[in-house]
Amino acid sequence: MIALLLRLYPARWRTRYGDEFAALLAERPLGPFDVADVLLGAFDAHLHLRGLGSWSEHRRGFPMSLRIGGLAAFAGGALVLTGWVWSGLDPAESDPGIWLYMAGTIALLVGLTGLTAFQARTHPALVWAAFLLPAVGGAVETFGIIAMAVFPDRPLVGDWAGWSFFIVGLLATIAGSVLFAIATYRTGALPRTGAAILGITSAISLISLLVAFGLGGEAQPILIAGFLAFTVGWIVLGLQAIRLDRPSIQPAAGAA
Amino acid sequence: MGLDRVALQTVYIASRYIVKRKKGHLAMVTPLPELGRFAEPALLILVSLSDGPKHGYAIMADVEQGTGRPMGPGTLYAALARLEERGFVEALPPVDRRRPYRLTALGATTVAEQLRELSAFAELGLRRLGQSPG
Repeated sequence: MIALLLRLYPARWRTRYGDEFAALLAERPLGPFDVADVLLGAFDAHLHLRGLGSWSEHRRGFPMSLRIGGLAAFAGGALVLTGWVWSGLDPAESDPGIWLYMAGTIALLVGLTGLTAFQARTHPALVWAAFLLPAVGGAVETFGIIAMAVFPDRPLVGDWAGWSFFIVGLLATIAGSVLFAIATYRTGALPRTGAAILGITSAISLISLLVAFGLGGEAQPILIAGFLAFTVGWIVLGLQAIRLDRPSIQPAAGAA
Repeated sequence: MGLDRVALQTVYIASRYIVKRKKGHLAMVTPLPELGRFAEPALLILVSLSDGPKHGYAIMADVEQGTGRPMGPGTLYAALARLEERGFVEALPPVDRRRPYRLTALGATTVAEQLRELSAFAELGLRRLGQSPG
């Protein structure tokens, strides 16, 4: 992976910094946060070496940080929740709800990337699984949504129609949330209460959905609880991450 | 070795804005303004190198330990390259592929000036809160 990431940088940059940068990347396990940061760094190096640096330098930008991760996690949870509620309240006019849901899923991936900086150092496999499950799940969900719109109720693979793909993708996203919560709780990189809430709500979602599908159409309240619970966990964790990155008077108080 | 957590937290928080008095008004400017969004990591790197040369991983670890915030490798080297271009830091011969960097005289002057401005800003804020600095 290190060689691949290095190749993204301009040749002139690699000649100067390539060897030491490769040594730096080999120092510790890389997580989604580090990879995203290197991708942004490579993009910046291309702009900078082509004399376009002024565009990127003077533009207000944000490095990948807790703040971005927290905002994205909060927005992702809120958008997915709103999307579900919108679609549930007005099934005949569910298009806006689906778009909100998709935007929320993408935001959750950004949130996962931004919030995994420290967890990946000690639990790289767990963190990568927590990232890849929702990433693949999101793609499967998108395929399912498109399939539902284009071929409603028509089986595509065996007995599986678009709805089945969508649900499998959703289950993968929720399973990724559980893994992320475990990694976060174990490292204490974010508040453990937030990690515990995300883990519990995601587990409730996962179990509710599996139970609801086992019971069939009689279990609509359980199904709704399954759809909604994990979004609350992301909203809470996102808020805690934002609060964590907020300047506080603690350092000054400690210095006195 | 390592940065004092409280000092670095203060730099991290205050480096977003510096207040300068201009004709009786307060003007908000960012530190190392020509570095744009890399101004904040650049200042943290300069502070990290203030107590002696360090290679990239040691800078990252020092900043993360001091601020509690992550610094990604892409951000580190984007800021480091800009600091080197401007003559604020210079590379030393590599040791086992790790290349240490150290502050130049210009870098030391710049970081001292930035920290004095931050200190003035912190004092101003504390006075307005009715608290004495330190």
